[in-house]
Amino acid sequence: MALAPAGEFHASYRADMTIMPTRNARRALLLGIVLLCFAPLVLGRYELGLLINIGFMGIAALGLNILVGFTGQISIGHAAFFGVGAFLSAYLHERFHIPVILCIPLAGLGTALVGLVFGLPAARLKGLYLAIATLAAQFILEDFFARAQWFTGGVSGRMTEAVELFGFRFDREESYFYVVLAFTIIMFVMAANLMRTRDGRALIAVRDHYLSAEVMGINLAYYRTLSFAISSFYAGIAGALYAHYLFFVSVEAFNILFSIQFLAMVIIGGLGSVMGSLMGAAFMVLMPEGVQAAADMLAGGWIDRTLKLGASISFLREMAIGAAIIIFLVFEPDGLAHRWKQIKAYWKLYPFSH
Amino acid sequence: MKKTILAAALALTLPAMAQTRTPIGHLMDNSGPTSDVGVPYGQGVADTMAWANANNRGRPTNVLGFDYGYQAPRAVSQYQAWSRDRVAAIQGWGTVDTEALVRFVTRDRIPFVSGSYSAALTDAGGRSGRQGVEAAPYNFFYGPSYSDALRAMLLWARDDWRARGQAGAPRYVHMGANHPYPNSPKEAGETLARELGFEVLPAIQFALTPGDYTAQCLTLRSGGAHYAYLGNTAGSNISVLRACQTAGVQVQFLGNVWGMDENAMKAAGIAANGVVFPVRSLAVWGQQAPGMANVQAISRISDAAGTAYRPVHYIAGVCAAMLMVEAMESAGENGGALSGERIRNGFYARQNWVPRGFDGVCAPSNFTATDHRGTLAVPLYRARVAGDTATGSVAELVAAGTIRLEPVTTITLDRRADWLGW
Repeated sequence: MALAPAGEFHASYRADMTIMPTRNARRALLLGIVLLCFAPLVLGRYELGLLINIGFMGIAALGLNILVGFTGQISIGHAAFFGVGAFLSAYLHERFHIPVILCIPLAGLGTALVGLVFGLPAARLKGLYLAIATLAAQFILEDFFARAQWFTGGVSGRMTEAVELFGFRFDREESYFYVVLAFTIIMFVMAANLMRTRDGRALIAVRDHYLSAEVMGINLAYYRTLSFAISSFYAGIAGALYAHYLFFVSVEAFNILFSIQFLAMVIIGGLGSVMGSLMGAAFMVLMPEGVQAAADMLAGGWIDRTLKLGASISFLREMAIGAAIIIFLVFEPDGLAHRWKQIKAYWKLYPFSH
Repeated sequence: MKKTILAAALALTLPAMAQTRTPIGHLMDNSGPTSDVGVPYGQGVADTMAWANANNRGRPTNVLGFDYGYQAPRAVSQYQAWSRDRVAAIQGWGTVDTEALVRFVTRDRIPFVSGSYSAALTDAGGRSGRQGVEAAPYNFFYGPSYSDALRAMLLWARDDWRARGQAGAPRYVHMGANHPYPNSPKEAGETLARELGFEVLPAIQFALTPGDYTAQCLTLRSGGAHYAYLGNTAGSNISVLRACQTAGVQVQFLGNVWGMDENAMKAAGIAANGVVFPVRSLAVWGQQAPGMANVQAISRISDAAGTAYRPVHYIAGVCAAMLMVEAMESAGENGGALSGERIRNGFYARQNWVPRGFDGVCAPSNFTATDHRGTLAVPLYRARVAGDTATGSVAELVAAGTIRLEPVTTITLDRRADWLGW
């Protein structure tokens, strides 16, 4: 089947549950991945750096989306879990000399355990109360990072090593890009598959109506904490990828603003959408760069001179991020994923929509 | 995308020279918690580099400024972008990012002039053997290290205690955020204080951002401290000074090198009166010195009217940038390539080094391959605030004598081997 029929005509559960509805969609995805594999040959290091950022931010945003978008919980401590993964991966490598490539999944598992502990209140709390409980997790972990000299290097931070495989060091954008690409594909396929399983549907049921879900025999406490663990697993993997990209981890990075940024990615990308997480991450990574470029152009120009911006031009970037989020919430509340679907529908039905 | 835009902008403005200009990185904090002092320092560096280009001092450079908001990870990722763009040298800023980058700049051989004066950066040969201090052969800064500045203030405090004819042991306390920058001289200061016969009280913490620090002042009073070191930058120190004035705490405050300036004196008002702090230049704005004409010319780069008042940090930025300009000049002599090693060796080329044309402004520096303590002479000043500072600009207040920087003394420390990197 190359094209999708104009309606739902699935004859089997298998057809209903497929990730890729048509052969062309599968081909387009494969083509996209193959094209990305050639990216290091054509793109500069700056552009590759942005793609790497989008990759690990997308993984972390996906984790948060599983928690917020699919399970209907809330977390404003996601950056702290991201930090746990970053520090844990660096620590495992330095202390136990485990190869970095294994440290990354191990850091994910370790972070999942930490997430499980901090997710326990989620079994009992919801809404604002849960938000405050996760806020506490953010501050507890942040303070721990600042003080646990043995684990994080204290406030001075900790150096990390590059991923090394069979004597080849992935210490440049051109090579590290493939590491991030591989992890991104694995993590996204895993999430897309998770949502097709019984557990995945249970999470969605908890979101849609927790009472109905419970009546249908879904263990609420179990699935809420599980969702926290899965979400932290993703954050941990993303954090570890970040750590071995930058070669330096410091407590300063994992503050509450960063947590809010993850929430913004999920909201801008689209709650409850796997693809949306990546789109939101891409938006949040690219937008500040765009604004920065615009500010650089403005600097010294006539707008700068007439408005006497001077040094405050650097604040433009921070302000633009805030403004973009507000504009998105007002004009695009369903996120980029929804808009993407509409664009696709437009072309599918062209020229006879309605 | 950004690079192409930058390149396009450069191509438009500098048609012929774009190829021959050496790229230089400049990390600034214009928006983070230390921006209160980061802005004037960064402006001083930027203006000086522009002035040097316009006056054919050193080699033609293309300065790439970046505001990293005092977030070390942002500085590290920017560094990585620069190192691939093959910047010849970097003007940096904070302690966390500079210390995090030590290993990178050593590996990539990129001379790095920091705004951080952490003593850990002075151990160029890695000979100190101190835990956590590694060789930093490419790190330089202009002025005394945080530790040496604090040692000088403690020596002054002991003399001050005696001169005032006080009985018993004076009590000393370290104040600052739990952050590498305020923490940097903590141990060195407390150790010397004990040696000098001070009673050392437990350190008091306050954040790098302004806030209500009344509780800290009450701790200060209940501990009966006589001398208190303020380890943060001006903004949060002002909060402490004002809170302590309100609480009626009588303590001799010792500001660190970034802890006090003319802007902070205006903001803190009478509460800043009496604070003793180190000044890195031999002259401050408005004083007469042979090199002051050049500083005024540099100031006009970003202030064509020539009316701006430049605080002490601006002049420190001028001197720090001039060291780099002249080191690059030495490196490029006889048609030499501007490699990292040659620029580093440029820092070793002169004894009692005062940049040409800045006599009486920049203090003489001495760098050797094993010891990057540029200077051990610490000029101490006292902030004098007489009256209301709420109305009028800093320039007017200084002109009226409401705000005054009063030289106290200059303490010259011994170049002790056991103080290297500490």
